[in-house]
Amino acid sequence: MFVSHTREVANIALAIRTEHLTKIYDVGWGRQNVGIDNLTLEVEEGQIFGLVGPNGSGKTTTLKLLLGLIFPTSGNAEVLGMSLDSAAYKSRIGYLPEGPYFYEHLNAPELLRMYGSLFGLRGPDFEKRIQELLELVDMWDRREYRVANYSRGMRQRVGVAQALINEPDLLFFDEPTAGLDPIGAKHIREVILELRERGKTVFLCSHLLKEMEPICDNIAILERGKLITRGSVDELLAGDVTQYRVEARDLDDEIIEQLGDGVAEIIRLDDSCRILFDSREDAFEAATRLEDAGAYLMTVGPDRRTLEEVFIDAVGEEPKDASSVQGS
Amino acid sequence: MRAVYRVAKATYHEGWRRRFLNGILVFAILIIGSSWVFTYLQPGAELKMLIDVGLGSIRFFGMLIAVFLGVRLIPDEIEKRTIYTLLSKPVSRGQFLAGKFFGGLATVISNVALMGITFYVVFAIKAPQFAIPTEEGAPQYSMEFMYANVAKAILMSFLELAVVMGLAVVASVVFSWILAAIFTFFVYFVGQMSEFFGHLADPETGASPAARVILGTIYRIMPHFEIFDVREPILTDVPIVWGYMGRTFGMALIYIGIVLALGYLFFNRREV
Ligand SMILES: Nc1ncnc2c1ncn2[C@@H]1O[C@H](COP(=O)(O)OP(=O)(O)OP(=O)(O)O)[C@@H](O)[C@H]1O
Ligand SMILES: [Mg+2]
Repeated sequence: MFVSHTREVANIALAIRTEHLTKIYDVGWGRQNVGIDNLTLEVEEGQIFGLVGPNGSGKTTTLKLLLGLIFPTSGNAEVLGMSLDSAAYKSRIGYLPEGPYFYEHLNAPELLRMYGSLFGLRGPDFEKRIQELLELVDMWDRREYRVANYSRGMRQRVGVAQALINEPDLLFFDEPTAGLDPIGAKHIREVILELRERGKTVFLCSHLLKEMEPICDNIAILERGKLITRGSVDELLAGDVTQYRVEARDLDDEIIEQLGDGVAEIIRLDDSCRILFDSREDAFEAATRLEDAGAYLMTVGPDRRTLEEVFIDAVGEEPKDASSVQGS
Repeated sequence: MRAVYRVAKATYHEGWRRRFLNGILVFAILIIGSSWVFTYLQPGAELKMLIDVGLGSIRFFGMLIAVFLGVRLIPDEIEKRTIYTLLSKPVSRGQFLAGKFFGGLATVISNVALMGITFYVVFAIKAPQFAIPTEEGAPQYSMEFMYANVAKAILMSFLELAVVMGLAVVASVVFSWILAAIFTFFVYFVGQMSEFFGHLADPETGASPAARVILGTIYRIMPHFEIFDVREPILTDVPIVWGYMGRTFGMALIYIGIVLALGYLFFNRREV
């Protein structure tokens, strides 16, 4: 039993490994910007890994370092078991940059043909793949459009298609759903999940926590270049299981006050209210009472935190639009 | 090789779409196409005037296009971030730099080829008229080698522009693009006079030893752009021998090789 367990651990292949990776940008006149600071991370193969953090926390910097677009100040990293100096890993990865841009005079199939040719891809099978990819990102109907006339979301869609052109084993997506409409964003999330299904590793950067939560296996939170929390999503969201929560809309203060003893904490969110209880019975009883009083019940159950809460906890800042009131 | 070719191809097509450079090309073709008009300014030296204006325009406007295209090629990729998707594919920085250079050069050469064809047509039509003495004492031009020489002169300008292109592309990865343009113009104009610096560095001129070292260094490291200027043999109707062309080609190649190698050293560590 023990033996097989260790073997399993040893077998887990790493898609990405960084060791004390540090990037300090020189911005002239002796001033420096911290890009990332001493980042040590491991990303296992076959998982969806989310790198989250506020604006300017170093997500894009990390990606650019891993792709050899910029160079570390210190520390090192390996991608697919190869050092960053090795060009060989480039043929097995795909990259969607933040706000991608392409040669303006080309249309989508021409663009994909050009990128494909860099991998030596051509011929009828490849043409079929181009069509599949453009259908996947819903750009096949608009294949005649030139990049110069694209909307932001269209560039993003083609950006996803070009990242997949070589059937990569490892994908780097920087804000994959930025600029996409809700249907487009959902679609991309489905694509990402399907990639994992096929055994690919996906490294995602985003600050859209609501999107990351249901798709990521593991998450690391960065702030000002520093890794502040990491772990599997299940671990991070487990929260305080001794508490139970009731979330409801359309309730006024009076009803809340009548709830009485069992209430541990009341958190008012923009359009709803979350009430935490110490016991399961209190929670369900309160839920019934709230519903009778005409409130719209949203959730009742063990308190599982949202990624947003984990994030705010870790980053240490109250959300602008949620005020916390201590219950009596 | 595949990567270089692909980058070059995209660069070539993209290069043709630069309005400002298209403007220079149209203007150059207008000037070259009407170069025979300028000949009326200098009665008696019409042929010289035709060749000066025609070949001079080709070199000058070609140089402008090479500089302005060359210094923008890589900065544009970086500013528009098209470089991210390229360098994350199996394209090394060396291949990228070479692809940009060759693609840009192909654009410039096709631009200049259009100017060259225009001039060649004008020349073929007008030159025989000017060669015939209109009155006693007017210069009697020999035109035995002239057609071939004019074509060779246009070929020489391709070589010259390749050197300018190499300088411009490489300068743009070392400096900002504006500084790179100024630098390239400077090297071009000083390079036109490199022989002159060579003479100044001669001990007989009486220059101080320090000045001689500086002038001598300029003479040695500047590309000798005057080797591409072949108006003299054209006007005196001496054949431009292939040996000279070959030597010039070799020198251009060596110069481009050195410049691109230096550019590679810079670009390989450049953050994008
Ligand atoms: N080229 C650069 N020169 C100087 N500083 C930079 C450069 N690029 C990024 N930085 C700095 O590095 C830090 C991290 O930036 P980065 O772009 O990695 O953040 P990010 O997490 O991707 O942010 P966002 O969510 O806004 O995309 C920031 O403080 C930024 O100012
Ligand atoms: Mg970013």
